[in-house]
Amino acid sequence: MTLENKTLNLLKEINLAVHAGETLAIVGSSGSGKTTLLSLLAGLDLPSTGAVYLKNHPLHQYNEEQRSAVRASHVGFIFQQFLLVNSLTALENVMLPGELANMSNAKALAYDLLSQVGLGDRFDHFPSQLSGGEQQRVAIARAFISRPDILFADEPTGNLDSETGKTVTDLLFALNQEFGTTLVLVTHDHKLALRCQRRVVMDSGELEEQESVMASVS
Amino acid sequence: MMIFSTSWFKQSIRLLRHELRRGELTIICLAITLAVATVFSLAGFSGHIKQGLLSKSTSFIAADRVLQTSRVIDPLIVQKSEALALQRAEQVLMSSMVFAGEKMQLAALKAVSAHYPLRGELLVSERPDASQSQSKNSPKPGTVWVEAKLLTSMGLTLGDKLEVGVSSFTITGIATQIPDASFSVFSSGPAVILNILDIQGTQLIQPASRISYKYLFAGENDNIEAFDTWLKPQVKDSQRWYDIKSQQTPLANALNRAEKYLSLASMLGIILAAVAVAVASRRYSQRHQPTVAVFKAMGASSAYIQKLYILHWTLLSLFSIGLGLVVGYALQQIGLYAMRDQLPVNVSNTSWYPLIVAFVTGLICAIAFAIMPLKQLISTSALSVIRGFSSEQNTKFGKYGLQYVPAIAALFSLLLLFSRDLVLAAALLVGGLLVSLILLSLGRLLMGAGRVAGSRAGKSWHLAMANLKRRARENSVQLISFTIAIQLLLMILVIRSALISEWQQQLPENAANRFLINISEQQVPQVNKFIEQNKLFASALSPVVRGRLSAINDEKVVKKVSKDEDKASDQGRRGVGRELNLTWRNELPKENIINEGQWWSKQSTEPQVSIEQEIASRLDITLGDTLTFQIGSETFSAPVTSIREVNWQSLQPNFYMIFNPQVLQDFPAVYISSLHVPQASKAALQNFLGQHPTISMIDIDAMIGQLRDVIDQVSVAVEFILVLVVIAGSLVLVAQVQASMEERERELAILRTLGAKGSLLRNSVLFEFVALGAIAGLMASLAMELAVYVLQSQVFDMSVRFHFEYWLLGIVAGGGFVGLIGLLSCWRLLNMSSVTLIRRTM
Repeated sequence: MTLENKTLNLLKEINLAVHAGETLAIVGSSGSGKTTLLSLLAGLDLPSTGAVYLKNHPLHQYNEEQRSAVRASHVGFIFQQFLLVNSLTALENVMLPGELANMSNAKALAYDLLSQVGLGDRFDHFPSQLSGGEQQRVAIARAFISRPDILFADEPTGNLDSETGKTVTDLLFALNQEFGTTLVLVTHDHKLALRCQRRVVMDSGELEEQESVMASVS
Repeated sequence: MMIFSTSWFKQSIRLLRHELRRGELTIICLAITLAVATVFSLAGFSGHIKQGLLSKSTSFIAADRVLQTSRVIDPLIVQKSEALALQRAEQVLMSSMVFAGEKMQLAALKAVSAHYPLRGELLVSERPDASQSQSKNSPKPGTVWVEAKLLTSMGLTLGDKLEVGVSSFTITGIATQIPDASFSVFSSGPAVILNILDIQGTQLIQPASRISYKYLFAGENDNIEAFDTWLKPQVKDSQRWYDIKSQQTPLANALNRAEKYLSLASMLGIILAAVAVAVASRRYSQRHQPTVAVFKAMGASSAYIQKLYILHWTLLSLFSIGLGLVVGYALQQIGLYAMRDQLPVNVSNTSWYPLIVAFVTGLICAIAFAIMPLKQLISTSALSVIRGFSSEQNTKFGKYGLQYVPAIAALFSLLLLFSRDLVLAAALLVGGLLVSLILLSLGRLLMGAGRVAGSRAGKSWHLAMANLKRRARENSVQLISFTIAIQLLLMILVIRSALISEWQQQLPENAANRFLINISEQQVPQVNKFIEQNKLFASALSPVVRGRLSAINDEKVVKKVSKDEDKASDQGRRGVGRELNLTWRNELPKENIINEGQWWSKQSTEPQVSIEQEIASRLDITLGDTLTFQIGSETFSAPVTSIREVNWQSLQPNFYMIFNPQVLQDFPAVYISSLHVPQASKAALQNFLGQHPTISMIDIDAMIGQLRDVIDQVSVAVEFILVLVVIAGSLVLVAQVQASMEERERELAILRTLGAKGSLLRNSVLFEFVALGAIAGLMASLAMELAVYVLQSQVFDMSVRFHFEYWLLGIVAGGGFVGLIGLLSCWRLLNMSSVTLIRRTM
């Protein structure tokens, strides 16, 4: 990345392969480059050098439009700030990716998913009428509606208290298991990281693999 | 259709529905609505006012258009007017002696056809004391109506016989108001109105007689305009084709200025509304960035987003335009209703023009002002979901200011659409841009200075000034729109006051309402004594000698307008064709300005003449030319030593030719004076005139009364437009304050979190807006002064002066109003609990 006259190498010599169905946590302190890595993996950003493949798609060679198309058919997202569309209801927010992927049953699926995350009676509420935990649950439902192959979660519990965070995490992993989705989550929460099968640590732009463990999913 | 089932269509509709209901689109909707409503009501209202004023004031020429000629016109013209369904009336005008037994009097004969007058009222009284006048058309054949002064001077009464030419008529009425009565002081005697069917019988129409034919036309505006376009190219040099506005009268001038003012005010209204749309669409774009980013992160393509937002924007625009038309129509009707007493207008007569202009304005605003913010919105990067949003993306458009190109082009086309005047539109635009640039730099400078000052003041001021400075970029945009709004309001206010006061000056309380003419040299001391005794306002007595211009530089001029008028040049140089009123004096008359040459000194003995500029250019006379005049059998010559501009609107005796005393003072002269005679002195004047029966008096009270009426109505109309423009300006301010609300919300949340007290926050918000408003007010005053200078000197042709009292108003009102609006807009935020604030913004 070039800022004014200085070149910053945010990420250095990173080799990372994420396998189908795997759950991976990227941990590290603030500013270590976790989020940058996530942006590259999801095709939100492009690396200045190197290659990123997602389901055999060379994202690094794709333009914005092509990367959008890849995201629409393969990727789901959960953000720290929830990023729900404020002017749409919970149900409509969940339907959104389904509609983008031209799913004819988006509405029915959205109802189901909202019920699964415990918001069956809140589908016509707007984000501002929901608590933080509820908003994140809507975001989780939204992430799963298009049955993505891979789900990226950026500090999904970062804005939530520990109690709510736990509920949301439980939901996330339950749905993940149910749909067999690949999960990549960025966090500095060690407890959350421990629930993933695999953990990598980012430190000053370098990636370090921690030993592989089978996490017990509650 | 397929399109309705596509997901972008459904999502677009869904977004629009929810956002409208939740009030998220209120500002942008209001801005477009305002633009359309302003244009609709201003265009419609000023159109109605112009129409109303014209139809009232056309009574001064008794028609919408008049063709004046010395010969009968081509029947084709009559046929064309009939084809356009115009009303027509005819008049034959001439001077002639009229007789009653032994008595005789030079009278102005006015033979009128059955439909005269087409506009205004001819009031005739059938009682000897001239009371209880009624509106009439033309007298019955064999009868005449006369002005009261004819009866007085000839000692006649109603029912008496009057001989005109070889015919004899019965006097059946006294004309108390003649709509197209001459403004000329030198009109030849009292009017005698007869039926046009009788004029041939008088045998006064002879091959060489000096007759003027007037053809009066009136009808629907469009038809009159069509007739005008058709006829204008055919009008010969010797003919005059005129409407009320082409008359050299105080009224025509007032109307012309009022019309210019109304157009200008409407254009400024449009600029204000356009600014509101520009502000609001920027905010629209910023508010929708997160949504677009989320859509993109989930894989929506740019094309998808584009379709979604184009539809969203189109529907929103159409909705707002529709709403604007309704609101505008209502405003216009309220205005017309409020003014129904001052200005009776045919309300049902609504033209399509305002509707079309308003709709087009709405479209232009919605497209041109929004295209760049929308482009920016659509290009929002998906990465923003993680990295956050920038208010200004650093595109090449942003860098080179190209983003303003469509907006500026749109503003120009709007001005052009409305003014239909390329030069005026370009001048307003270039002027506006230059002023904005200057304002931008000045504003930053002042905000910087404010920060330094603020650091020495209290905590709230310090915070307010720091805020101002920190957000200099956003604030300077805000500052410019505040400034423009305040400037335009001040301009409208200043010009309105100047116009109205100038009109009132033209017709001061003691405006001359009587002219005394035919005063002999021996009577001059008596007249002066009478004026002095009764303490009357009067012009100095001017001597008048009637003479003919016979040669220019020894080249003879045509004596009389020949039979074949347009070939006049074959027989010699063009002349005046009639006797002129010549005068002499030592001092330049008050209302006259020397444009070329010099006024003579008292001591000069060489003959000199000063000529009025319009007649000079018509006769091709330049400084240094020698003019030869003939008075009776004597001739004399004088070189032109000055060319004068004459204010024909001053109710004073005015002259084409003024000589230095040496030239004329030995010729026998009569004297003339204009004076204001208050009600209390009228009897004394009557008495005085009874003692001096040879002095004639011209009463212009009725004419002044009518003029005053029209000017009062124009003033009311101008004030109403002012109110509309003020509303438009205020809404721009509100829109602008609203646009900065989110930024403030975040800031307040932070300050609250840090433990700032409510009073501190309130004051810092208040002071920030007050400072912003006051700076804008100061800059607006500067810009206003510049603009008013240009307008008064170039457009309105008025005298120029500075308006420091409005500077104070600009600064105080700017600070007060912006402060109040800002505080009120933030009130809800200021009273929120810290938790709510933080929740809303984090």
